[in-house]
This record gives sequence, structure tokens and C-alpha cells, in this order.
Amino acid sequence: MNLIRRLARTLAQGALHCSLLTMAAAFAIPAGAADAVNVYSIWPENWARPMFEEFEKATGIKVNFVRFSSGEALARVIAEKGNPRVDVLFGGPVETFAAGIGEGLFEPYKSPSFARLPARFKQPDGQWTAIADDPLVFMTNDKFVKENNLKAPTSWNDLLAPPYKNMLQMADARTSGTAVTRIFSILEVNHRDETKAFDYMKKLRPNVQLYTKSGGGGTLPVGLGQAGGGIFFIVDALDTKAKGYDVTISFPKEGIGTAAEGIALIKGAKNPELGKKLIDWATSPAMQNQFAKYKINFVPAHPDVTLEPSLAAVLKGANIFPIDAEYAGANRKRIVDRWVAEVLNP
Amino acid sequence: MRARTASASSIAGSPKCSIRDPTRVVSAGFAGARAAAPGALRRDPALTVTVIVLWALLALFVAYPLATLLSRVLFDKGTFDVAGLVSVLTDRHQLRAFWNSLLLALLTGIGGTLIGFLFAFTAARCRLPRPVLTAIDAAVLLPLVSPPFTTAIAMIFSFGPRGLITYDLLGLKGVTVYGMTSTLLSETLTYFPIAYLTLRPLLVAIDSNLEGMALSLGASRARVFRTVTLPLCVPGLANGFLLLFAASLADFATPLILAGNDFPVLPTQAYLQITGLFDLRGGAALSFLLLLPALAVFLLQRYWVGRRYYVTVTGKGAGQAPFDSVATGVRRALLAACALITLVIVYFYALLLYASLVVALGANHAFTLAHYRVIFTDGLKAIRDTLIIAGIAMPLGGLYGILLGYLVTRKRFFGRRTMEIMSMINYALPGTIVGIAYLIAFNDPPIELTGTALIIIACYVFRYGPTGIRTTVALLQQIDRSLEEASQGLGAGSGMTFRRVTLPLIVPAFFAGLGIVFIRSMTAISATIFLVSIGWTLITVRILENMTELSLGPAAAFSVLVVAIVFVVIGAIGWLLRLFRAPSSMPMASMLGG
Repeated sequence: MNLIRRLARTLAQGALHCSLLTMAAAFAIPAGAADAVNVYSIWPENWARPMFEEFEKATGIKVNFVRFSSGEALARVIAEKGNPRVDVLFGGPVETFAAGIGEGLFEPYKSPSFARLPARFKQPDGQWTAIADDPLVFMTNDKFVKENNLKAPTSWNDLLAPPYKNMLQMADARTSGTAVTRIFSILEVNHRDETKAFDYMKKLRPNVQLYTKSGGGGTLPVGLGQAGGGIFFIVDALDTKAKGYDVTISFPKEGIGTAAEGIALIKGAKNPELGKKLIDWATSPAMQNQFAKYKINFVPAHPDVTLEPSLAAVLKGANIFPIDAEYAGANRKRIVDRWVAEVLNP
Repeated sequence: MRARTASASSIAGSPKCSIRDPTRVVSAGFAGARAAAPGALRRDPALTVTVIVLWALLALFVAYPLATLLSRVLFDKGTFDVAGLVSVLTDRHQLRAFWNSLLLALLTGIGGTLIGFLFAFTAARCRLPRPVLTAIDAAVLLPLVSPPFTTAIAMIFSFGPRGLITYDLLGLKGVTVYGMTSTLLSETLTYFPIAYLTLRPLLVAIDSNLEGMALSLGASRARVFRTVTLPLCVPGLANGFLLLFAASLADFATPLILAGNDFPVLPTQAYLQITGLFDLRGGAALSFLLLLPALAVFLLQRYWVGRRYYVTVTGKGAGQAPFDSVATGVRRALLAACALITLVIVYFYALLLYASLVVALGANHAFTLAHYRVIFTDGLKAIRDTLIIAGIAMPLGGLYGILLGYLVTRKRFFGRRTMEIMSMINYALPGTIVGIAYLIAFNDPPIELTGTALIIIACYVFRYGPTGIRTTVALLQQIDRSLEEASQGLGAGSGMTFRRVTLPLIVPAFFAGLGIVFIRSMTAISATIFLVSIGWTLITVRILENMTELSLGPAAAFSVLVVAIVFVVIGAIGWLLRLFRAPSSMPMASMLGG
């Protein structure tokens, strides 16, 4: 027994020594090798990883990345402002990038594709550039719709129907660019008449079971039937369908907004040249032609990239309009505050 | 209380049951040390070096980050400005969130302590066969060792509008799962094991002769329970309540998923303030608001319950009740209640396992190992990083715990009390604020740690190591100082005495510290979400990501893996503990953590 105890003690000491050695090794690894670019990705790993692997294949530059939600990523970049840890902020609604401009986080850079992009896909100074477009859609659970003798909603007013009471999920405007795009869509279809738009949102409120923290947070509950339907970005909705859940995607005839996904160079980046190369690649057809191959259902931002046929079929006939970035930027805070005060916590 | 326990035990007449007033012992120790104090540090270089190193570490990893964050909150671009903070802190909704948090913590504390007591009483008094006890222990440990979100997600699946139970089984329609009730249920289920682990050793340690004596004197079983058993448990109940209160107060993962629109709570609000409105100062201010109740609870536990706690631990190992202290009917009812709750837990985790093995829960229930393939390919880096970080943090945290615990109980030096309180700060603070403080403090020179593994390791050691400190302190207060004094009297230095005499005695505390730091390193999220980096990522962060990206399968597979790893490691620690022939109940009770 004594022997075993001594053995165990030696083991414990050995473990301590080992871990100290490992630790020394762990810190010896430099933060980033010279031929690598460091990235915070807002796109989930299963989309970001193949894109970055393609980039490495094309340029030989390795991408070190970690994935955060748009809010977490921006909070990190803000906190690290004095000594940036990454070179590029990748993906995520331009909403997030607009907030970052206010904090002075980005280094303006215009990639070769910049001039080819329509105005709404770039910040005039080059603070951010769009890499994809992402329209909003209605998504409903087939079983729920059938059971309640409904049809997939084709008008904003369809969502006010009594069977939807407490059965919709959509994002919270405080945390999600999806939600802000949704609210500005509602403003647009009401011709920017705020009273009318907010009347609609207040009427919709009793039907909302949950305002989720992330834009796609409600897709799984809708897929599972825990919720009947909701308003999501098309990538999240199509992903839900691809997973095998019985959901239907539809568009309101009054129209619905779309939001661009951006990329930006971080001010004070340690590897600015490599970061620029990633931006060049991501804003060009070189990356955006790969979306279809990896079943990433974004609408490409570059005009030379053709839309993948099955995605085109979904979007056929849909009334989709861009959100006016200037108007949205100027009114965002006020509108969100009003939404919190009047809709979320009446 | 103390006096009553003592007299009760002397009635029981157990000769070895030397109940000692810990405060008296400690103060006597102080008096002795005080005499030797002048020059004690000078004469004892090992002690001096250790104290200086510990102070430096505490300054660097506790005081410095917190001070940095505080100055960031109070000063806006170099000027003192609190106007913005006042508006955040007096906002009607934030205040409501504050009261909601308190209410939720209060109810979780009460509910969890009651269930914990139910389990502890059943385990200690119902003469259950050993396999049943082991099964209960394992099931009860599950919620404690699993990553956050797991209970919350299982709640939605089971009790949502299309829940397996509410809809498929009971046929209810239009059920709402989001709100206070389900948050409360989920937190109670997640945290009640803390109360169980606190109360069970206490109940086992209560000399059952006491109850037997009262019975034979003609008291009914109910009366014995009311007048003997329950009063003896009061300190344990209070301790369990306070630990649960603190755990619920700091929990942000459960409300994030379950609280819904109408029940905002403070940790979630602080997180949203930072990640949603990009208002770091406001979010930090909200977190500091949480500090008030958290500190109050800590002080209560430290200075009120802490002093009363060891009294009933006689170190005598009373074992199973030698006679029936529980009537057969009551015994059946207790067993049924425990079985029901255990069943719920097992069901939740069976669901988790199932979700990890089917293509898409709720849509395609074909068997697949694809999710495990994903986590062992794409997720391999997260697994490797987590294991390396937990593996390094574990021994360091254990060592830190016993060293600091030993010094503050046994040695007298300048700022001893301050050191003890300071060591508990990171433990009492909500995780979000610790994470943000580390991120801000260690991003810029002079000390750049952001992006390294060290920042996560330091966070774990100083946030979860304090459990080891508490265990060490509790153990040492039961061990007579004369042993060490004899060693020193015979000429051994304090380093030698510590290694050869004290260390073997407090080895259980070391392993308890190891265990809790490891468990937390595998399951924590609130602080580390801000500390993961390109170089180092963690399993829990991947779970959160998968949850929000509707990749439920990989999230479930990761969770199953975490539970499996933790069980293996805890099993190994338990085995080592038995080798050292330590009373295993003691450190297990101290793994309660925050």
C-alpha cells in the first residue's frame, strides 16, 4: 500500500513537471508565422474553413482564424484596439462594420474589385467591402402550417394571423443585424412611415414567442416545430432545409430587405499586406465562385459571379430591395431604442 | 448552534468525537504565531519567497485586471465620466433585470437546497445498497460536469410547444417554454448537486446514535427529524443555499437560452450590452452591479456559515445508520421522489446522447457517427487545446490552492487576511466581467497575454483555484498545529515541515482543487468566451457556436465527449484519493465550486 502511495505521489509530481514543460513549449510558439494572416470570422466555421482553405490553395497564405458572432467579434476588436490581434474581420452583416467605423477600427482599403461593385456593396472610403448579399425570408414549419390550415405567408400581414400567436421566433434588434435589417424592411414597406411601421410591429409582438440573440437562433426551433415560423436570412433558412427539416421559404409580396456581408482590414494590423491579399481574393469572383461548391447559399456580391441555379430558383419572383445604408446608418440607434422601448418592453 | 452540537455529542458519548471550536483553535494559533512574528519572515526564506511570489501573482492576475477594467469604466477617453453609467444603471429595464436576478437566485437557492437535502437525506438515511448509491452519485454529478446549455436545450426539446413531453406525450398545445419557470427549473436541476455534495457528508457525519437516543427516549421519528437532524443540518443548508444563490447569480448561459423576452437577468443583460450594443463600459458597469450581492454572499459564507460548518464534521465516520431512522412509508416516498428526479436527469442526458448519434434530431433519426467524425476532425484543435489548457491549469490550480490555503491558515505575515480575501475575488465575480477584465488588461503592453494559452490558464487557476483554498483551510482547521510545531521544534524549516508534515495531511484538498479546476476548465464558458484566440480555442466555445448555428449534432457530440473525459479524470482522482486513504466525502463536498 505504501509503495503504491509513493508511486502515486511520484506520478503526481511527474505530471506537474510534464505540464510545466508542455507549458513552456506552448508559449514558445509565436502568435503568427510570417506567411499567415490572422482573421476573426463571423461566418460559422463550416463556411469559413473551406473558404480559407481555398485561399491557401490559391495563394499559399495560411489563414489562422477563430469564429465569433458579429457582436462578440466587434467587442473583441474594440477591446484590442490598442494592440490588434488580427488583420481582417471577415463576414458578418455590414451593420456590424458600420458600428466599427464609428469606433475607428478599420483601415480603408480598396481592392481591385472595388470599382466594379455597386454602391451599396462598399463603404465609399473603402472601410469595408461586401463579399456577399443575404436577403431576408419568411420560413415556416410545414406541419404547423398544415395543421392550422394556413398557407406559407406571402404578405407581412399573414404573420398577424391568430394561429401564429406565440409561435414566431425572430432576432432581437439589440444583438442581431438580422433584426435590424428586418425592422428597416418593415419601415420600407410602410414607406418609412414610422408610426405605421411601429403599429405593425406592436401588432406582431403577441405572436412572437421569442426574440433570439442571434439571427439564426430561431431556425432550429422552427425546424423542430417548437415555433411555427419566423424571419431569417436566406442562408440560415436554406441551411435548415438542407439539414432535412420540413420548412418552407416564402417572400412577402410587399417586399423584404437584404443585407450585405462585409470584409475589412483592421487598423494597425500586424500583417496588412497579407490581409489585403485576403480582401482582394474574397471580394473577387475567385472566392465567390466557390459558394455553390460548398453549399453556401449567399448571393454573390460581385457582378461577374453567376447565381447558383437552385438558389436562383428560390429567389425567382421574390420582391427584394436593398436597405438604404445611409438612411439605416443615420437612424439605426434611434430606431433600435424605440423598438426596445415600444415593442420589446412596452 | 455550536454549543448545542457539542452538548448533543457529549450526550452521545462518543469518546473520539473531539469537537473543537475552530475559532478558538485558530486564535490560539495566532497568539502563538504573534509571539514568533517579528522576524519570522526574515528567518524563513522559503516562506518569504512564497509569500512574495503569491502576492505578485495576486496583484498581476486579480488586482491589475480589475483595476484596469474599473478605470476603463470610470474614465471615458481620459476624463472622469459617469453620466453614461448612471443612465445605464438607473434604466428601468436594467433595474428590473437586477431584481429578476436576485429573485431567480433566491428561488434557485431554495429549490436546489431542498432537492439537494432530499437526495442527501435519502442517501444517508435510507440504507440504500451500494450500487444504488453509486448510481445516484453518478446521475447527480452529470449536471455538474456537463457544459452549459445542455439542460437548457433539453428543456426546450422536452417542454417546448412541440416538446417530446408536452406535445408528443401529453398532447398539450401552445405551451410556452421561455420564461422564469423553465429558467428556474433548469438552474435548479443544474445546481442542486452542489447542495447534495455539501449536505451528504454532513448527514453521514452526524452521529446516528443521537437520533437513536432520541427515538429510544420516546420521540416520534418526525420529532427526531425536526428537533435533532434538521437543526444539525442548518449550517449545511445555509451553505448550500448560499453556494446555489451565487451560482445562479453568475449564470448567463441558461437565461440566454431560456429566459425569453419577459424575464431579463443581469448577467445576460451585461453580455448583451457588450456584444449587442458594443457598450463595454455599460456592460462592465452592469457586471459590477452584480458584485454587490455576490460579495455579500461570499462574506456571509466565509464569516458566518464557514465558522459553523466544521463543527459537525467529527472525522469519526459514523457510516450508515445502524437502525431505521426513517419509517418505511417515508422511505418509499423519499426513494420515489429521488428516483423521479434522477430519471429526469438521465432522460435529459439520454436525449443528448441520442442527439449526437442521429442525423438531425426532430427531422432525420437515422443513426450516424458523422457528428463524432466532425468533432474529431474539425474540432480536434479545440479538443487538443482544451486538454492542454486543462492539463496545465489543473496541477497549477491545485498547487496554488494548497499553498495559499496553508499560508493563510498556518503562517502569520503582513496582509494575511487581505491575501485571503483577494484570492476569492475572481471566484466571486461573474465570469463575464473576469473575462473582459483579462482581455482589456492583458492586451496592451506591458503585459501582453492576449492570444496565448497562459491567459486562459491564469483565468482558470485564479477563478477556480480558490475552491482548493477553501478545502485546504477547512482541512487544516481540523488538524492540530502541534504536529507542525513539533517538526519545527526539531529544527525543520517551514519548507521542510510543509513538505514532510503538512502536505501529506492536506493531499485530499490538493486533489479536490485539481478536480474542480479540471471540471471547470472543461465546462466554463462565461469568462473564456472573451479569452479564446486564434491560437487557442476551447470546446465550450465550439459548443456555443454549434448551438447558435443549429448544428445540434456536433454540439451534442462535444458535450458527450466532455462528460466522458470529466468522468474519467474524476474517477482517476477518486482512485488516487482512496490510495491516500483520505475520507473521500470531504473533498467531494468541496468540489461544489462557483
